Amino acid sequence: MGEVIVITSGKGGVGKTTTTANVGTGLAMMGKKVVLIDTDIGLRNLDVIMGLENRIVYNLVDVVENNCRIKQALIKDKRYPNLYLLPSAQTKDKTAVTPEQMKKLADELKEEFDYILMDCPAGIEQGFKNAIAGADRALVVTTPEVSAVRDADRIIGLLEANEIGQTHLIVNRLRVDMVKSGDMMSSDDVVDILAVDLIGVVPDDEHIVISANNGEPLVGSDCMAGQAYMNICKRIIGEQVDFTDFDAKKGLFQKLAAILKK
Amino acid sequence: MDNIVKITGSKSGIILRLDPEADWDSIVKDVAEKFKSSAQFWGDAKKAIAFQGRELDEKQQDEILATIQDNCELQIVCVLDENPEREAAFAKALQQEKSGSASAVAEKTAANMLQNDNGTGFFFKGNLRSGQVLDVETSIIILGDVNNGAKVISKGNVIILGSLKGNVFAGSAGNVDAFVIALDMKPVQIRIADTIARSPDESPRRSKTKETRIAFWEDGNIYIEPLDKDVMSDIRLS
Repeated sequence: MGEVIVITSGKGGVGKTTTTANVGTGLAMMGKKVVLIDTDIGLRNLDVIMGLENRIVYNLVDVVENNCRIKQALIKDKRYPNLYLLPSAQTKDKTAVTPEQMKKLADELKEEFDYILMDCPAGIEQGFKNAIAGADRALVVTTPEVSAVRDADRIIGLLEANEIGQTHLIVNRLRVDMVKSGDMMSSDDVVDILAVDLIGVVPDDEHIVISANNGEPLVGSDCMAGQAYMNICKRIIGEQVDFTDFDAKKGLFQKLAAILKK
Repeated sequence: MDNIVKITGSKSGIILRLDPEADWDSIVKDVAEKFKSSAQFWGDAKKAIAFQGRELDEKQQDEILATIQDNCELQIVCVLDENPEREAAFAKALQQEKSGSASAVAEKTAANMLQNDNGTGFFFKGNLRSGQVLDVETSIIILGDVNNGAKVISKGNVIILGSLKGNVFAGSAGNVDAFVIALDMKPVQIRIADTIARSPDESPRRSKTKETRIAFWEDGNIYIEPLDKDVMSDIRLS
């Protein structure tokens, strides 16, 4: 029996879709059978980040409206045969599906997949309600900015009200240099405010932009964000992984740079 | 809901398909929205209109016509009575679909309609943006771009005097002679009749060069080639 995980944030642009793509790919790398569902109807993006846009024939709305079977709409990933994407519709809007239909869909997919990842749209309206229907646990993504943290707080409240089991926090786009100089909240500050368990910290990394443009998630690659996402995946399946100290890595790099300069 | 009202343009005029289930107020609202957003497309053309999907009494017809006139410059010159022949064909096709099997009769009717409409076409001026769908019964010439996420569906041919960066479905009633031409051919997907071709997976940072290309169907495959004289002489306008 699989587990349904919703990735949500409230605020837009904090990295829900990127997180969904990377966590999903990471879980698939570990041999889990994973399906990613883009619930952002009308503003689909996950297919682009995954580089699967050109394969879309049927979508989530077609499945819900019984225009096709689930199998027909699932797109197999380019690299991992146990990773699938259920894309969203671009020409409809959020009202095209209901929370009940989403729950039914999630329950059907649970039979076959280990993990079902729901990429939630920004906001707290119908799209959000659709995405959390049927979710067993939630990953709340936030950046260390007051506006994103406030929205995350609202979202966590709504998740609690809807009795979504576990809620974990991902602090995205952390800049160690700014935290050090006191210009940015640290992940500890964010956890203090939100009072939920941290499952990962992803540093701000230009490789994310490159990987998104190329349609290839970078999880597991040698860059800092790739490692951070891999650690999140390991924690999701229950492994104990220490939190990486990005500052230490940076320190080493700076030391090397300093040596080279001489 | 998106599909309460569906506007289909044909050479004779406009067919307005109204959802039989939806409540009247939301239909009127949707008609207003659809015509408002496509006002630029219609211009001040004179058109005939036909209704499908539900029976309208005179009052309801007047309300729809008033809504259309309030939201765009379009001039409705007459309301067509349901064409009994077409109505019968549609009803039959609909019934067949409900019972789950496509009948030869329905297909034949579709083929007949296709033959009538393939040689004609009309113009659309403007860019189609993400999420927008242009669905026409005839061939279509687009003066503008078809962006990523937008879709053009035509029973005939599609000619784009601009960039094609989205999806095109030509010969949507099954015509394999349909073709697609774009001044700048960079589609995500092209579908002709029942064959779908998708763009290659290589880096999306595609070449900056623009070349006029044609996409056509041959032996179950879709080919995209530069539009030269040889290719053009092979085009069949059925």
